[in-house]
Amino acid sequence: MSRSRGIALFLLAIMIVGVGGCAQPKAEEKKPAAPAEPIKIGVQGPISGQWAFEGEGIARAVNLVAEQVNEKGGVLGRKIQVIQGDDKSDPKESALVAQKMVAEKVIAVVGSYASSLTEPASAIYDEAGIVHITPSSTATKLTTKGYKRFFRTCFLDDRQGLFAAEYFSKKGYKNLAVIHDNTTYAKGLAEWTKKYLEERGVKVVFFDAITPGEKDFTPTLTKVKAANPDAIYFTGYFPEGGLLCKQAKELKIQALFSGGNAVNNPEFVKIAGLDAAKGAIVTTEPLPGDLPYPEAKQFMEDYKKKYGDYPKSIWVILAADAMRLIVTAMEKTGSAEPAKIAEYLHTQVKDFPGISGPIIGFDEKGDRLGTIHKAYVVDDRGEFVPAP
Amino acid sequence: MKWVFQINEISLGPGIARTYALAGLGVLLVIYPLVVNDYWAMVGNFYGIYVLLGCSLNLIVGDAGLFNLGHAAFYAVGAYSTAILNTRWHVPTLVLLPLSAALAAMFAVVISKPILHLRGDYLCIVTIGFGEIVRIALYQNPFGLTGGPNGIFGIGRPSLFGFVFRRPWHYFYLIWAFVVLTIFAMRRLEESRLGRAWNCIREDDLAAEAMGIDTARLKLLAFALGAGVAGIAGNLFASNMTVIAPESFSFWESVLMFCIVVLGGPGSVPGVIIGAFGMFVLPELFRGFFLRSRLLVFGAAMVAMMLFRPEGLLPVQQWKRAAESRGEGARRAAAV
Repeated sequence: MSRSRGIALFLLAIMIVGVGGCAQPKAEEKKPAAPAEPIKIGVQGPISGQWAFEGEGIARAVNLVAEQVNEKGGVLGRKIQVIQGDDKSDPKESALVAQKMVAEKVIAVVGSYASSLTEPASAIYDEAGIVHITPSSTATKLTTKGYKRFFRTCFLDDRQGLFAAEYFSKKGYKNLAVIHDNTTYAKGLAEWTKKYLEERGVKVVFFDAITPGEKDFTPTLTKVKAANPDAIYFTGYFPEGGLLCKQAKELKIQALFSGGNAVNNPEFVKIAGLDAAKGAIVTTEPLPGDLPYPEAKQFMEDYKKKYGDYPKSIWVILAADAMRLIVTAMEKTGSAEPAKIAEYLHTQVKDFPGISGPIIGFDEKGDRLGTIHKAYVVDDRGEFVPAP
Repeated sequence: MKWVFQINEISLGPGIARTYALAGLGVLLVIYPLVVNDYWAMVGNFYGIYVLLGCSLNLIVGDAGLFNLGHAAFYAVGAYSTAILNTRWHVPTLVLLPLSAALAAMFAVVISKPILHLRGDYLCIVTIGFGEIVRIALYQNPFGLTGGPNGIFGIGRPSLFGFVFRRPWHYFYLIWAFVVLTIFAMRRLEESRLGRAWNCIREDDLAAEAMGIDTARLKLLAFALGAGVAGIAGNLFASNMTVIAPESFSFWESVLMFCIVVLGGPGSVPGVIIGAFGMFVLPELFRGFFLRSRLLVFGAAMVAMMLFRPEGLLPVQQWKRAAESRGEGARRAAAV
């Protein structure tokens, strides 16, 4: 038995030395880093897990912006240090990462990706008084809790509804059929679109839901045909969108087929067939490559130079914008105080040249004003191109 | 096979050493949240929840010997019933605690009744299936109840006599009170007639039945009790987080719970405490160091574990003896 005790003590000693040995140099490393303490800004995202693709992009964008600022000498004479936190696409991990950020004394955090990841973290950041900007969480509830330092650079679904309504009324459509699929997202978008259409004097002659997963939508489409709309707007996802488009063509419905951003997928054209899909309209956030602004072109190139590929999703761009806003707020207020940054974002942002388009400000809840949505049309080759 | 740590005798053997060890642990529990920051208090909270989950699964896997790789489903039922009832009808979360335990237990009875005659691996496969069905159902947002991938927001915080549990260290006391209670109950259960009957079933199903043990009923009871405790863990998790989403109840979570039980030594409550430490707290300690290779270290540790200590870190005395004297006859003798 004495041998086994010896082994136990030996293992314990290894562990203590190992942990201590790992921990100490890290603590020392931080101190002599710069003459002035660096400003710590956190980025939190699902760097592993099912949304790793998006989380990685968000982290990369924030790191890139921080690097560019540091190359120019930092902000307020101090360097920016990015603290990266992986919430593994799990709300529990998100809460842990948030507590870790608070312990690291960051002044602001960009993240996280999905609403279920942002929510637990936002409560913790609010309590700690940290500025929190999410680039991609669109759940309406996030900004209804009265957090004074919570913002988002993305748009709520009602903005897309507003854009769609404006598009249809501008193009002279008079009667619309709006179809959703009862998911929270699609139903919300459909209801917003209906509200804004009616405000603009466009009649919604048909408003109903289909069941996702079904294959035959002719009963619904027959009713749509009877209502005789100029255009059909479908707010659900691309598999049903494709089938609806195809079957509408088979029923010889003349109305224009259009869909929300969940239809924005090459599969839509495949399912519908090029013949039916040609000319269909999709309202969506612009793809990063289609952003016309000089800031966007520059950022795309910088991103490619550093990571070898262009950013694929709009959320990456919105994360970079969030970081740039934080840096600008610090420069303009001359302070790294979260309270001052939040106040600046609430009151002073008017015409900020965002990569995703001009940021015209935030409302009192922290939601971004304006809209950046665009209409895309399926061309003769079955590709989505910006609509005229 | 002399790889036995001295700690076995301290934590399991009676006597003065054990009393001191327990008192020391008690004091540590009380002062821990007061001296650490919120982050480490929260790590302590999740550690407590994993000990609860480990204990509940240990009842099924360790005591009754029923392989269950879908335990996250019961945990999810507890968490989601708390979340739904609290956000829709504003029932206080602490009131929902027994209810979510009961709902999880009922769910376990309904789904395990038809599959309990399956043995070993087959039962395991079916439970994996159930775990996945529950997770996918949560994604699909049935009747608009579960909120789909967004999950459920704004779950109320528990309050007791006007005191609202808000900070991580408040929760620490709440969660660990339940952990201590559960551990005590588990130890009592182990030594009871019920516990011995479960052990008999684990060692030999047929022999147990021949000795007059109602195996079907007792297996069902193991599932129901285990699921009930998992339901409690789910309730505490939901009110601690104030938001839940399907990702927290994935297959990986079931695997983690299973590993906690196997790592510590099936059937052993101290084993669960050590197992949960190894599976949750250690990776958390390494968060800063191996951001990307965390899972690699984890895998290497599991392989080393299986090579050097297949019976678990703190195995039950009976199992330990059986593992030491490898003969099948001795294994039987030790069990009875």
